[in-house]
Amino acid sequence: MNFRATGIISSRLLSLLALLAGLNCHSVFAKTPVIDIEIKDHLFHPSEIVIPANTKVKLVINNLDPTPEEFESYELNREKVINGSRKAVIFIGPLSPGEYPFFGEFYPKTAQGKVIVE
Amino acid sequence: MLLGSVILVLQETLEAALLVSVLMMISYQLWNRVAWLLIGIGGGLVLSYLYSSNMVEVSEWFDYVGQEIVNAGLQVLTAFFIVVCTWAAYKSQRRGSVARQTQTSPFASLFVFCAAAAVALAITREGSEILLYLGGFLQQQEYFRTIMVGSSIGFSIGLSIGILLYYGLSNLPVKWRLDAAVILMALFAGNMLAQSVLQLTQADWIPSSRSFWDTSHWLPEGSILGQLLYALVGYEATPSAAQLVAYTTGVLLVLAFRAAGKHPKR
Repeated sequence: MNFRATGIISSRLLSLLALLAGLNCHSVFAKTPVIDIEIKDHLFHPSEIVIPANTKVKLVINNLDPTPEEFESYELNREKVINGSRKAVIFIGPLSPGEYPFFGEFYPKTAQGKVIVE
Repeated sequence: MLLGSVILVLQETLEAALLVSVLMMISYQLWNRVAWLLIGIGGGLVLSYLYSSNMVEVSEWFDYVGQEIVNAGLQVLTAFFIVVCTWAAYKSQRRGSVARQTQTSPFASLFVFCAAAAVALAITREGSEILLYLGGFLQQQEYFRTIMVGSSIGFSIGLSIGILLYYGLSNLPVKWRLDAAVILMALFAGNMLAQSVLQLTQADWIPSSRSFWDTSHWLPEGSILGQLLYALVGYEATPSAAQLVAYTTGVLLVLAFRAAGKHPKR
């Protein structure tokens, strides 16, 4: 390997490292936004949440009903049982702009909502 | 309410039913053994009861993502046992051509142990969800009867599809039977690993990546065909790159261990 090729590789390596370091700083210092959702009488409150595009968001879902519910969304690729009178955490995103419906699989008739990404 | 319970229980039953029918076909065809199934199913029922009754505590582990971590662990273990099953099945087939295969060959024992474990773990995950679902309705007597009827219908449909698959595989020409079963096992193992990646992404243990493709317009995951394909081969309308890598890994592992079992080192 000649000197020039080594130079190119090491400068690429350096920029890759810088990029990784940048990403790392981002994940350490940028706080993940938290959105609270409640389940009451088999309904989501709020049933529509708006989140920014290309951002990871932490959903904290508080089930105020005594019965368990399952948060499910085909569009978000998420599925999680939430015990009665307990809370659960679900991470979603980064997502592109659009609408992502979700529902409570145990009570799908009433428990419906959507995530709006702007 | 009725339809909802049919669909929910069908979804959960289908996956375990498919696994049971494929493994049972192999163990019956090769060694005339099916008793392991009772241990697998019985063990799965006990474990799913334990899992569901401790779900409150488990959910709070690891800062409220315990459920995802445990599910991912169960899925990875299921895939592991399927890989070992494949290896044992081919290994014993090779031997069987030389000396007559006996019911108590070490490979037969290894196969039935791993098959029972895979079935038990699959039932643990799916069964605990059904138990939590039904448990919620115990407190609401007005719906309980409807839910039980719906759940029984869903369970029966899932079971019937499993039985159909079993007889379908059993009636294939002998030389294709094991290979056909192993293709299904490879897809199943891929599905398990892809699902475990999804669980870890949901828990934020694996960074989320953009979906690799989007087929939700022409084959939505929520449609009947989408759901069937999800249970059969792990269909996702919007999979991430990490899920695809995990899926491919599962498929290749099963195929590699098939090859390893088939061509032993001299």
